[in-house]
Amino acid sequence: MKSPDNNTSGDVQAVSAWHRSAVATALVGAVFSVIVLALIVGNYIRGRVHETRWEKKLENLRIEISNQPDDEQALLEEIRRLDLEFRRAMFRVLDFSRTGSYLLLASLSVFVIGIKWAGTFKEKMPAPQPQQGAASEQIRQAMLARWSVAAALGLAGAVMLFLAIGPRIDFRATDAAADSYPTPEKISRNWHRFRGPEGAGISADVNMPESWDGKSGKGILWKTKVPVAGHNSPVVWGDRLFLSGGDPNRLNVFCFDALSGELLWTGDVKRAPLKPNEEPVEVMEDTGWAAPTVTTDGKRVFAIFVTGDLACFDFSGRSFWSKNLGTPDNVYGYASSLEMYRNLLLIQYDQGDTESEKSKLIALDGFSGRVVWQAKRPVANSWSTPIVARTDSGPQIITAADPWVIAYEPNSGAEIWRAECLAGDVAPTPIYANGLTFVIEPYSKTVAIRTDGKGDVTKTHIAWSLDEPAPDICSPIGNGEFVFILNSDGLALCFKAADGEKLWEEDIGEGRDSFLASPSLVGDKLYLLTEKGIMIIAEVLPKYNELARCELGEECCASPAFVDGRIYIRGVENLYCIGKEETTQEP
Amino acid sequence: MIRFGHIIIATAVVVNLCAVVSGRHGLPARENTAKIAAPQRFPPPEFESGYDLPPSPAAPHPRQSIYEYIDVAVLLAALILASYLVLKMRSRRAIFVLMVFSLVYFGFWRKGCVCPIGAIQNIVLSIFDRDYAVPITVSAFFLLPLIFTLFFGRVFCSAVCPLGAIQDLVLLRPVSVPDWLASGLRVFAYLYLGLAVLFAATGSAFLICRYDPFVSFFRLSGNLNILIIGACFLVVGLFIGRPYCRFFCPYGVILRQLSRLSRWRVTITPDECIGCRLCEDACPFGAIRKPADEWSATEYVRGKKTLALLILLLPVLILFCGWAGARFKNVTSRMHSTVRLAERIYLEEAGEVEGTTDASLAFRATGREVKDLYEEASGVRGQFAIGGWLLGGFMGLVIGVKLTAVSVWRQRTDYEADRAGCLACGRCFKHCPRERLRLSKKDKAIS
Amino acid sequence: MAENKNDISRRNLLRNGFFGTCLAGLGGLAGLLAGRLGKTRTLWQIDPNICIACGNCATRCVLEESAVKCTHDFEICGYCEICFGFFEPEPYDITEGAENQSCPTGAIKRKYIEDPYYEYTIDESLCIGCGKCVKGCMTFGNGALFLQVRHDRCLNCNECSIAAACPSGAFKRVPAERPYILKKVGHA
Repeated sequence: MKSPDNNTSGDVQAVSAWHRSAVATALVGAVFSVIVLALIVGNYIRGRVHETRWEKKLENLRIEISNQPDDEQALLEEIRRLDLEFRRAMFRVLDFSRTGSYLLLASLSVFVIGIKWAGTFKEKMPAPQPQQGAASEQIRQAMLARWSVAAALGLAGAVMLFLAIGPRIDFRATDAAADSYPTPEKISRNWHRFRGPEGAGISADVNMPESWDGKSGKGILWKTKVPVAGHNSPVVWGDRLFLSGGDPNRLNVFCFDALSGELLWTGDVKRAPLKPNEEPVEVMEDTGWAAPTVTTDGKRVFAIFVTGDLACFDFSGRSFWSKNLGTPDNVYGYASSLEMYRNLLLIQYDQGDTESEKSKLIALDGFSGRVVWQAKRPVANSWSTPIVARTDSGPQIITAADPWVIAYEPNSGAEIWRAECLAGDVAPTPIYANGLTFVIEPYSKTVAIRTDGKGDVTKTHIAWSLDEPAPDICSPIGNGEFVFILNSDGLALCFKAADGEKLWEEDIGEGRDSFLASPSLVGDKLYLLTEKGIMIIAEVLPKYNELARCELGEECCASPAFVDGRIYIRGVENLYCIGKEETTQEP
Repeated sequence: MIRFGHIIIATAVVVNLCAVVSGRHGLPARENTAKIAAPQRFPPPEFESGYDLPPSPAAPHPRQSIYEYIDVAVLLAALILASYLVLKMRSRRAIFVLMVFSLVYFGFWRKGCVCPIGAIQNIVLSIFDRDYAVPITVSAFFLLPLIFTLFFGRVFCSAVCPLGAIQDLVLLRPVSVPDWLASGLRVFAYLYLGLAVLFAATGSAFLICRYDPFVSFFRLSGNLNILIIGACFLVVGLFIGRPYCRFFCPYGVILRQLSRLSRWRVTITPDECIGCRLCEDACPFGAIRKPADEWSATEYVRGKKTLALLILLLPVLILFCGWAGARFKNVTSRMHSTVRLAERIYLEEAGEVEGTTDASLAFRATGREVKDLYEEASGVRGQFAIGGWLLGGFMGLVIGVKLTAVSVWRQRTDYEADRAGCLACGRCFKHCPRERLRLSKKDKAIS
Repeated sequence: MAENKNDISRRNLLRNGFFGTCLAGLGGLAGLLAGRLGKTRTLWQIDPNICIACGNCATRCVLEESAVKCTHDFEICGYCEICFGFFEPEPYDITEGAENQSCPTGAIKRKYIEDPYYEYTIDESLCIGCGKCVKGCMTFGNGALFLQVRHDRCLNCNECSIAAACPSGAFKRVPAERPYILKKVGHA
């Protein structure tokens, strides 16, 4: 580059030649920059458009392949070809934009150099403007400056005000109700799952009705027909009662007003479409479409069905999320109920046999339905419901299945202990009391396991194991002092909890009655619901002593719920609320 | 007088040394602890064929630390050179060459990071968060330009800052911005600085880095929106000299104030101003102050009244803006991820929004209590309330002082470079006939 | 005139005073910073135990090809025949065909070792850090695949734009001597 200083001597010809070439350089740089920029922008847009278009195309092909199994090979070829092309295009776009940006930088530099160079030949001579009235001009400037500063402040304020539009969220104003999961105290006052808090079947309120009659309507506060049948039990939270029902055409969650029995809303659960080559679910009549009992965290209600469809509704009936866990491989149909721990929804998803490695325990975030953890279980299919026991060493999820009883840490899903002690089709739910968990092997065995072990505790922590007739469906009940079990045919046994000593044995059914509902305990009285709908109220200690029989007049499979002086019983068709007359007046 | 200045410098140096020595026993950097065992769902294989596991993940090394020190050395050298070129050599061309070098080195080679402008935030965060350690290089990048500005004026802006350089390069047809508009626009730089400090102090975000308009050019890639903003700045910069530096740069705000006090500074003329008016239009950044006469008596009285009113207004402005700043805590605190998350969770819990976001899902997967999150978010909002008072108060002060400053009448006899606004680019030198005289004398002396 | 001179010297005194104050202030700041100086430089890294593999790493990096790439720790890997990182959630078939792979760029290679073990290696030049494989392995497998910032690519921005968008807060600054956070082998 030649210094312009040397060219001021009037060599106009040379100057204009240099100047022209400088301008030409700048021009070339500018034109090239514009071209490169246009190419880069085009490339960027093309990349964006292509990406979405390819994705859609591939997706469509993938769907097509399951619809047209005949063209499989051709479609696969097509997918692979497209995929390869897409990947090539993607990297081409990347390469192009990289080289393009370097080119752009280079051409812009050429432009800048050219223009600066040209500028050196065209130094403008300073040409001062005629001076204005200095003083008045300064005063005007000062005034304008004050206004512009004020305007800047005003503009900033306006922008802030604009941003402030919207809901004011005050975190401090929210009370404990904003907790994402209920406190144990709150749970204990409700009946949030199958057999109530901790699945123990024990009523928190000991002041329960002791006589009613379905025929005369005595003691029946309300009776409502349930639109769709199901073997699951009612759960109650506050003034809401939830249960589910299903048949081949629909899967529903129902919400009733617990005070009036009015059906508040019906939630439709969408069934996941079948995968190719998948056979439709065959449901046994004994199990039905909706055997698992729903659960609630006080804000949302969760339901699972025999098909593996899982759904969550809020208390107003709005569907929150739903998902399908895959059709369970289960001989009689999936029937394990749901349990909650804090924000986690716990699903004992046992399938197949001990070898098939399909069984698992799944913990979902109740709010989102996202899998938080899942644990593989070396067990066969089961129909038992997990419980979260509050042991001295912290909460444990206790699960019973063939052959392992396994306890898990609820937050992480890590296994705490396991004991090999069960066989057969395990359906009764375990219970926990005073450091012992009681599990049942259908027909043959009742086992008590100490819960303070770690690892495989089969040899070390089994407190006692009794080979006595044991129920195949009804879960045990106990309060830490005794364990009571009830066989379907009505044979009842009572053991001392600490050592398994048999306290008494009694044939309650007497050949007439059979039992599907699990027993419940109100204070020191047993509430046993027969299949025919007769509630037997009996003293359990020191020996069996029947106090009353109350007839409902409808067959019953589900276990009743005991909340706040009322008993909620689901018959095969109707839902009943039983209360003392004086409690009907409560607000 | 010079002696007096020297005493001050000496005292300051001693204070510095003492402070540096006493600060040696600082907190160590936070340890890197993340050792939660991964859940092993499938047992690792035991190969019967005796297959050996390949070496575990390759971990390419980061750029070596020594280069960071080289960066600091280059910065120091560039600042020294710039000071020499601006004050002693008075050569626009040399300044230009150094500027291009800085653009290439700090911009395109070092990808615009670390830069002194962004370093403000690191410094602020380290003051408010005791666990946050500032690397020595970042501290040096922050402090060196300030010290040089305090002594030599804004030589950093002239030839070292890559952001300034890229704007200076594209300036083709300067259009002068009226002074009154410039002083209004400059308010945004103070606001930008205030917000950046607020967000950095609360650990919310590094605003300056997030909206750095030119760094995407240096990296030749980046967020599309930022690229567009940067391109806009450059297009505007074709006509308006260094728009970012003058009206938005938060570091420039600090440099302005230090430059007011600088020991040595740019003078348009090498010796004396002859009032020839030839330099009047020389500055594309509007930093040349014209001579000004005394006001007439009536104007003087009126001006004095306005001034008195504005000075009385100052505390009112400070209080009002502080109050307003605190009122906006719900807006400003949204920059903090905890508050954003808590608001999202709140809306989800209240059922006012449907679905979830990745962040709310991630939060829920941790199993933390919502109440804790709300509490934390409320705490952050509390910080923003205090910060809002301070930021608002600062803005009130800035506005108040600005209003006062534009209303003060300063008498001037010579053409001189504005102490605060002069970017030391050296464009005006050759406009001065005295400078031409000096150069020709020098040429003669050499020949 | 004398008054004027007085004025100037007063102004100079004031200016000197301010100058000294500023210098002392800068010195004080330097001292304060010296107290907080990190012994080492720090770099950005992802804590794989917090990462939820949301996919932001692929799109939010200031580099067009993200500085984040997937890392495979063979010591954690179960060498599964059906790798949840390699295959789509519900693969059409258990083959290496494109229709079954979850990786959008085909960066994972599957190699038969011995029955029933397969080895999966990542071609880093193809990996775009989308985390699809990480998500699969994290949810259903051992978590041997995880995302890490590759420091030969990372520009170490003052504010990492992925970190700013990270929904789980998995990005943090780590000392430059230990620039990677690898998972620890946890034998159950």
